[in-house]
Amino acid sequence: MAYNSTTGPHHHHPTTPASHSHGMGMDNMMMHMTFYFGFKNVELLFSGLVINTAGEMAGAFVAVFLLAMFYEGLKIARESLLRKSQVSIRYNSMPVPGPNGTILMETHKTVGQQMLSFPHLLQTVLHIVQVVISYFLMLIFMTYNGYLCIAVAAGAGTGYFLFSWKKAVVVDITEHCH
Amino acid sequence: MHFIFSDEVVLLFDFWSVHSPAGMALSVLVVLLLAVLYESIKVGKAKLLYQAAVSMSIPTIQLTEETDQDSLGSDSAPVSRTHLRWFFCHFGQSLIHVVQVVIGYFMMLAVMSYNTWIFFGVIIGSAVGYYLAYPLLSMV
Repeated sequence: MAYNSTTGPHHHHPTTPASHSHGMGMDNMMMHMTFYFGFKNVELLFSGLVINTAGEMAGAFVAVFLLAMFYEGLKIARESLLRKSQVSIRYNSMPVPGPNGTILMETHKTVGQQMLSFPHLLQTVLHIVQVVISYFLMLIFMTYNGYLCIAVAAGAGTGYFLFSWKKAVVVDITEHCH
Repeated sequence: MHFIFSDEVVLLFDFWSVHSPAGMALSVLVVLLLAVLYESIKVGKAKLLYQAAVSMSIPTIQLTEETDQDSLGSDSAPVSRTHLRWFFCHFGQSLIHVVQVVIGYFMMLAVMSYNTWIFFGVIIGSAVGYYLAYPLLSMV
Protein backbone atom coordinates (compact mmCIF):
# COMPACT_ATOMS: atom_id res chain seq x y z
CA MET A 1 0.00 0.00 0.00
CA ALA A 2 1.56 3.27 -1.02
CA TYR A 3 2.40 5.54 1.88
CA ASN A 4 2.25 9.28 1.42
CA SER A 5 5.14 10.70 3.38
CA THR A 6 4.20 14.34 3.05
CA THR A 7 0.91 14.11 4.88
CA GLY A 8 -0.06 14.17 8.52
CA PRO A 9 -1.58 11.34 10.51
CA HIS A 10 -4.16 9.40 8.61
CA HIS A 11 -7.46 8.14 9.78
CA HIS A 12 -7.80 4.53 8.80
CA HIS A 13 -11.30 3.24 8.43
CA PRO A 14 -11.49 -0.23 10.00
CA THR A 15 -13.03 -2.69 7.62
CA THR A 16 -14.83 -5.71 8.96
CA PRO A 17 -14.16 -8.93 7.10
CA ALA A 18 -17.83 -9.80 6.93
CA SER A 19 -18.81 -6.82 4.87
CA HIS A 20 -15.76 -6.47 2.64
CA SER A 21 -15.04 -10.04 1.66
CA HIS A 22 -16.40 -9.83 -1.82
CA GLY A 23 -13.25 -8.95 -3.66
CA MET A 24 -13.70 -5.21 -3.49
CA GLY A 25 -10.64 -3.19 -4.37
CA MET A 26 -8.87 -2.04 -1.24
CA ASP A 27 -7.01 0.81 -2.88
CA ASN A 28 -8.97 3.59 -1.16
CA MET A 29 -8.41 2.72 2.47
CA MET A 30 -6.50 5.94 3.12
CA MET A 31 -9.02 8.76 3.30
CA HIS A 32 -7.72 11.98 4.70
CA MET A 33 -9.85 13.58 7.37
CA THR A 34 -7.74 16.70 7.86
CA PHE A 35 -6.29 19.23 5.48
CA TYR A 36 -2.90 18.44 3.98
CA PHE A 37 -0.67 19.76 1.25
CA GLY A 38 0.70 17.11 -1.06
CA PHE A 39 0.68 15.93 -4.61
CA LYS A 40 1.63 12.28 -4.40
CA ASN A 41 -1.01 9.64 -4.92
CA VAL A 42 -3.97 12.00 -4.91
CA GLU A 43 -7.10 10.38 -6.29
CA LEU A 44 -9.43 12.82 -7.95
CA LEU A 45 -13.07 11.84 -8.41
CA PHE A 46 -12.54 8.97 -10.81
CA SER A 47 -10.61 5.77 -10.47
CA GLY A 48 -8.19 6.41 -13.30
CA LEU A 49 -7.45 9.98 -12.27
CA VAL A 50 -4.48 9.85 -9.89
CA ILE A 51 -2.11 12.74 -9.39
CA ASN A 52 1.50 11.77 -8.79
CA THR A 53 3.68 14.68 -9.82
CA ALA A 54 3.75 18.43 -9.29
CA GLY A 55 2.99 19.03 -12.94
CA GLU A 56 -0.14 16.90 -12.75
CA MET A 57 -1.17 18.74 -9.62
CA ALA A 58 -0.74 22.06 -11.42
CA GLY A 59 -2.93 20.79 -14.25
CA ALA A 60 -5.53 19.58 -11.78
CA PHE A 61 -5.42 22.95 -10.04
CA VAL A 62 -6.19 24.75 -13.28
CA ALA A 63 -8.95 22.31 -14.19
CA VAL A 64 -10.65 22.60 -10.81
CA PHE A 65 -10.27 26.39 -10.93
CA LEU A 66 -11.98 26.50 -14.32
CA LEU A 67 -14.71 24.13 -13.13
CA ALA A 68 -15.51 26.35 -10.15
CA MET A 69 -15.53 29.42 -12.42
CA PHE A 70 -17.85 27.67 -14.85
CA TYR A 71 -20.15 26.77 -11.97
CA GLU A 72 -20.51 30.39 -10.90
CA GLY A 73 -21.12 31.43 -14.49
CA LEU A 74 -23.76 28.75 -14.89
CA LYS A 75 -25.60 30.06 -11.83
CA ILE A 76 -25.67 33.59 -13.21
CA ALA A 77 -26.67 32.38 -16.67
CA ARG A 78 -29.59 30.42 -15.23
CA GLU A 79 -30.74 33.46 -13.29
CA SER A 80 -30.75 35.68 -16.35
CA LEU A 81 -32.43 33.02 -18.48
CA LEU A 82 -35.14 32.67 -15.88
CA ARG A 83 -35.77 36.38 -15.75
CA LYS A 84 -35.92 36.67 -19.51
CA SER A 85 -38.40 33.86 -19.85
CA GLN A 86 -40.78 34.90 -17.10
CA VAL A 87 -43.14 36.92 -19.22
CA SER A 88 -46.43 35.28 -18.40
CA ILE A 89 -48.06 37.06 -15.50
CA ARG A 90 -51.52 36.00 -14.43
CA TYR A 91 -53.72 38.19 -12.33
CA ASN A 92 -56.52 36.68 -10.28
CA SER A 93 -58.91 39.08 -8.58
CA MET A 94 -61.24 37.90 -5.90
CA PRO A 95 -63.55 39.76 -3.55
CA VAL A 96 -62.73 39.52 0.13
CA PRO A 97 -64.61 41.04 3.03
CA GLY A 98 -62.91 44.08 4.45
CA PRO A 99 -63.41 46.14 7.60
CA ASN A 100 -66.75 47.83 8.23
CA GLY A 101 -68.53 45.37 5.99
CA THR A 102 -67.08 46.66 2.74
CA ILE A 103 -65.97 44.37 -0.03
CA LEU A 104 -62.37 44.67 -1.14
CA MET A 105 -60.84 43.25 -4.27
CA GLU A 106 -57.74 41.23 -3.56
CA THR A 107 -55.49 40.64 -6.51
CA HIS A 108 -53.12 37.73 -6.72
CA LYS A 109 -50.32 37.81 -9.20
CA THR A 110 -48.60 34.67 -10.31
CA VAL A 111 -45.50 34.55 -12.43
CA GLY A 112 -44.66 31.33 -14.05
CA GLN A 113 -43.70 29.30 -17.03
CA GLN A 114 -45.53 26.57 -18.81
CA MET A 115 -44.23 23.13 -17.98
CA LEU A 116 -43.48 21.93 -21.46
CA SER A 117 -42.15 25.17 -22.85
CA PHE A 118 -38.61 25.24 -24.12
CA PRO A 119 -37.29 27.70 -21.49
CA HIS A 120 -38.47 25.45 -18.69
CA LEU A 121 -36.91 22.36 -20.24
CA LEU A 122 -33.68 24.24 -20.76
CA GLN A 123 -33.77 25.41 -17.14
CA THR A 124 -34.26 21.81 -16.04
CA VAL A 125 -31.30 20.57 -18.05
CA LEU A 126 -29.12 23.38 -16.74
CA HIS A 127 -30.33 22.59 -13.23
CA ILE A 128 -29.15 19.01 -13.57
CA VAL A 129 -25.79 20.21 -14.85
CA GLN A 130 -25.55 22.65 -11.94
CA VAL A 131 -26.38 19.98 -9.37
CA VAL A 132 -23.83 17.55 -10.81
CA ILE A 133 -21.08 20.17 -10.91
CA SER A 134 -21.85 21.30 -7.38
CA TYR A 135 -21.54 17.72 -6.14
CA PHE A 136 -18.27 17.32 -8.05
CA LEU A 137 -16.93 20.45 -6.37
CA MET A 138 -18.06 19.08 -3.01
CA LEU A 139 -16.28 15.80 -3.67
CA ILE A 140 -13.14 17.63 -4.76
CA PHE A 141 -13.20 19.63 -1.54
CA MET A 142 -13.70 16.35 0.30
CA THR A 143 -10.27 15.11 -0.80
CA TYR A 144 -8.97 17.53 1.87
CA ASN A 145 -6.07 18.37 -0.46
CA GLY A 146 -5.02 21.94 0.28
CA TYR A 147 -4.12 22.82 -3.30
CA LEU A 148 -7.40 21.57 -4.72
CA CYS A 149 -9.46 23.27 -2.00
CA ILE A 150 -7.71 26.56 -2.71
CA ALA A 151 -8.45 26.03 -6.40
CA VAL A 152 -12.16 25.58 -5.65
CA ALA A 153 -12.33 28.69 -3.47
CA ALA A 154 -10.30 30.85 -5.85
CA GLY A 155 -12.29 29.67 -8.85
CA ALA A 156 -15.56 30.44 -7.11
CA GLY A 157 -14.36 33.90 -6.18
CA THR A 158 -13.03 34.69 -9.65
CA GLY A 159 -16.16 33.33 -11.32
CA TYR A 160 -18.37 35.39 -9.04
CA PHE A 161 -16.28 38.47 -9.74
CA LEU A 162 -16.31 38.06 -13.50
CA PHE A 163 -19.87 36.98 -14.06
CA SER A 164 -21.69 39.07 -11.47
CA TRP A 165 -20.17 42.27 -12.75
CA LYS A 166 -23.32 43.58 -14.29
CA LYS A 167 -25.88 41.27 -12.75
CA ALA A 168 -25.47 43.18 -9.61
CA VAL A 169 -28.91 43.93 -8.46
CA VAL A 170 -30.71 40.64 -8.31
CA VAL A 171 -29.74 38.81 -5.19
CA ASP A 172 -30.45 35.14 -4.66
CA ILE A 173 -30.76 34.71 -0.94
CA THR A 174 -32.06 31.20 -1.02
CA GLU A 175 -28.92 29.54 -2.31
CA HIS A 176 -26.98 27.40 0.12
CA CYS A 177 -24.52 24.91 -1.19
CA HIS A 178 -25.83 25.32 -4.69
CA MET B 1 -20.17 4.91 7.81
CA HIS B 2 -22.90 6.10 10.09
CA PHE B 3 -23.58 8.76 12.70
CA ILE B 4 -22.11 8.03 16.12
CA PHE B 5 -22.26 9.73 19.47
CA SER B 6 -18.67 10.13 20.55
CA ASP B 7 -16.45 12.46 22.52
CA GLU B 8 -13.52 11.97 20.18
CA VAL B 9 -13.26 13.58 16.80
CA VAL B 10 -10.67 15.24 14.59
CA LEU B 11 -12.19 18.21 12.83
CA LEU B 12 -10.79 19.72 9.64
CA PHE B 13 -7.22 20.28 10.81
CA ASP B 14 -4.61 18.11 12.48
CA PHE B 15 -4.41 20.29 15.54
CA TRP B 16 -8.16 20.26 16.16
CA SER B 17 -8.48 16.91 17.88
CA VAL B 18 -11.02 16.47 20.61
CA HIS B 19 -10.73 13.87 23.36
CA SER B 20 -12.92 15.02 26.23
CA PRO B 21 -16.52 16.10 26.82
CA ALA B 22 -15.39 19.64 27.57
CA GLY B 23 -13.45 19.78 24.32
CA MET B 24 -16.43 18.38 22.48
CA ALA B 25 -18.75 21.00 23.98
CA LEU B 26 -16.34 23.72 22.94
CA SER B 27 -16.05 22.29 19.44
CA VAL B 28 -19.81 22.13 19.08
CA LEU B 29 -20.00 25.76 20.17
CA VAL B 30 -17.37 26.77 17.60
CA VAL B 31 -19.18 24.90 14.83
CA LEU B 32 -22.45 26.49 15.91
CA LEU B 33 -20.95 29.96 15.72
CA LEU B 34 -19.48 29.11 12.33
CA ALA B 35 -22.94 28.20 11.05
CA VAL B 36 -24.39 31.42 12.47
CA LEU B 37 -21.62 33.33 10.72
CA TYR B 38 -22.39 31.57 7.45
CA GLU B 39 -26.04 32.55 7.51
CA SER B 40 -25.26 36.12 8.47
CA ILE B 41 -22.68 36.41 5.67
CA LYS B 42 -25.36 35.38 3.21
CA VAL B 43 -27.67 38.11 4.43
CA GLY B 44 -24.84 40.61 4.80
CA LYS B 45 -23.70 40.10 1.24
CA ALA B 46 -27.18 40.74 -0.09
CA LYS B 47 -27.60 43.85 2.01
CA LEU B 48 -24.19 45.21 1.04
CA LEU B 49 -24.98 44.71 -2.61
CA TYR B 50 -28.30 46.47 -2.28
CA GLN B 51 -26.86 49.39 -0.32
CA ALA B 52 -23.95 49.81 -2.70
CA ALA B 53 -26.24 49.84 -5.70
CA VAL B 54 -28.61 52.29 -4.05
CA SER B 55 -25.80 54.61 -3.03
CA MET B 56 -24.55 54.74 -6.58
CA SER B 57 -28.02 55.49 -7.93
CA ILE B 58 -28.27 52.32 -9.91
CA PRO B 59 -31.91 51.36 -10.36
CA THR B 60 -32.60 48.32 -8.26
CA ILE B 61 -35.47 45.98 -7.64
CA GLN B 62 -36.70 44.94 -4.26
CA LEU B 63 -34.44 42.89 -2.08
CA THR B 64 -36.86 40.04 -1.59
CA GLU B 65 -36.75 38.79 -5.16
CA GLU B 66 -40.00 39.87 -6.75
CA THR B 67 -39.25 39.34 -10.36
CA ASP B 68 -42.40 40.69 -11.85
CA GLN B 69 -40.82 43.66 -13.53
CA ASP B 70 -38.20 43.79 -16.16
CA SER B 71 -34.63 43.73 -15.04
CA LEU B 72 -34.07 47.43 -14.61
CA GLY B 73 -30.68 47.29 -13.09
CA SER B 74 -28.80 44.58 -14.80
CA ASP B 75 -28.36 46.31 -18.11
CA SER B 76 -27.32 49.77 -17.03
CA ALA B 77 -23.63 50.10 -16.41
CA PRO B 78 -22.56 52.58 -13.78
CA VAL B 79 -21.30 55.91 -15.00
CA SER B 80 -17.59 56.32 -15.48
CA ARG B 81 -16.89 58.47 -12.47
CA THR B 82 -18.19 55.80 -10.13
CA HIS B 83 -16.67 52.98 -12.13
CA LEU B 84 -13.68 52.67 -9.88
CA ARG B 85 -15.87 52.70 -6.79
CA TRP B 86 -18.00 50.01 -8.29
CA PHE B 87 -14.92 47.96 -9.07
CA PHE B 88 -13.74 48.06 -5.47
CA CYS B 89 -17.21 47.35 -4.18
CA HIS B 90 -17.55 44.35 -6.46
CA PHE B 91 -14.08 43.13 -5.54
CA GLY B 92 -15.05 43.26 -1.89
CA GLN B 93 -18.22 41.36 -2.69
CA SER B 94 -16.15 38.67 -4.39
CA LEU B 95 -13.92 38.31 -1.35
CA ILE B 96 -16.97 37.93 0.86
CA HIS B 97 -18.24 35.34 -1.61
CA VAL B 98 -14.99 33.37 -1.29
CA VAL B 99 -15.32 33.45 2.51
CA GLN B 100 -18.91 32.25 2.20
CA VAL B 101 -17.93 29.38 -0.09
CA VAL B 102 -15.07 28.29 2.17
CA ILE B 103 -17.20 28.39 5.33
CA GLY B 104 -19.92 26.44 3.56
CA TYR B 105 -17.44 23.74 2.63
CA PHE B 106 -15.98 23.70 6.13
CA MET B 107 -19.45 23.07 7.52
CA MET B 108 -19.95 20.27 5.01
CA LEU B 109 -16.66 18.68 6.08
CA ALA B 110 -17.58 19.06 9.75
CA VAL B 111 -20.80 17.16 9.16
CA MET B 112 -18.78 14.59 7.22
CA SER B 113 -16.97 13.69 10.43
CA TYR B 114 -20.18 11.75 11.16
CA ASN B 115 -20.16 12.92 14.76
CA THR B 116 -23.73 13.50 15.88
CA TRP B 117 -22.91 16.31 18.32
CA ILE B 118 -21.13 18.26 15.60
CA PHE B 119 -24.06 17.64 13.27
CA PHE B 120 -26.47 19.05 15.86
CA GLY B 121 -24.18 22.04 16.26
CA VAL B 122 -24.29 22.75 12.54
CA ILE B 123 -28.07 22.37 12.36
CA ILE B 124 -28.79 24.50 15.41
CA GLY B 125 -26.27 27.10 14.29
CA SER B 126 -27.93 27.32 10.89
CA ALA B 127 -31.33 27.67 12.52
CA VAL B 128 -30.16 30.37 14.95
CA GLY B 129 -28.29 32.20 12.22
CA TYR B 130 -31.28 32.15 9.89
CA TYR B 131 -33.59 33.25 12.68
CA LEU B 132 -31.39 36.18 13.64
CA ALA B 133 -30.22 37.32 10.24
CA TYR B 134 -33.10 37.04 7.78
CA PRO B 135 -35.40 39.63 9.36
CA LEU B 136 -32.57 42.09 8.80
CA LEU B 137 -32.90 41.50 5.08
CA SER B 138 -36.19 43.33 4.82
CA MET B 139 -35.06 46.17 7.08
CA VAL B 140 -33.53 48.31 4.36
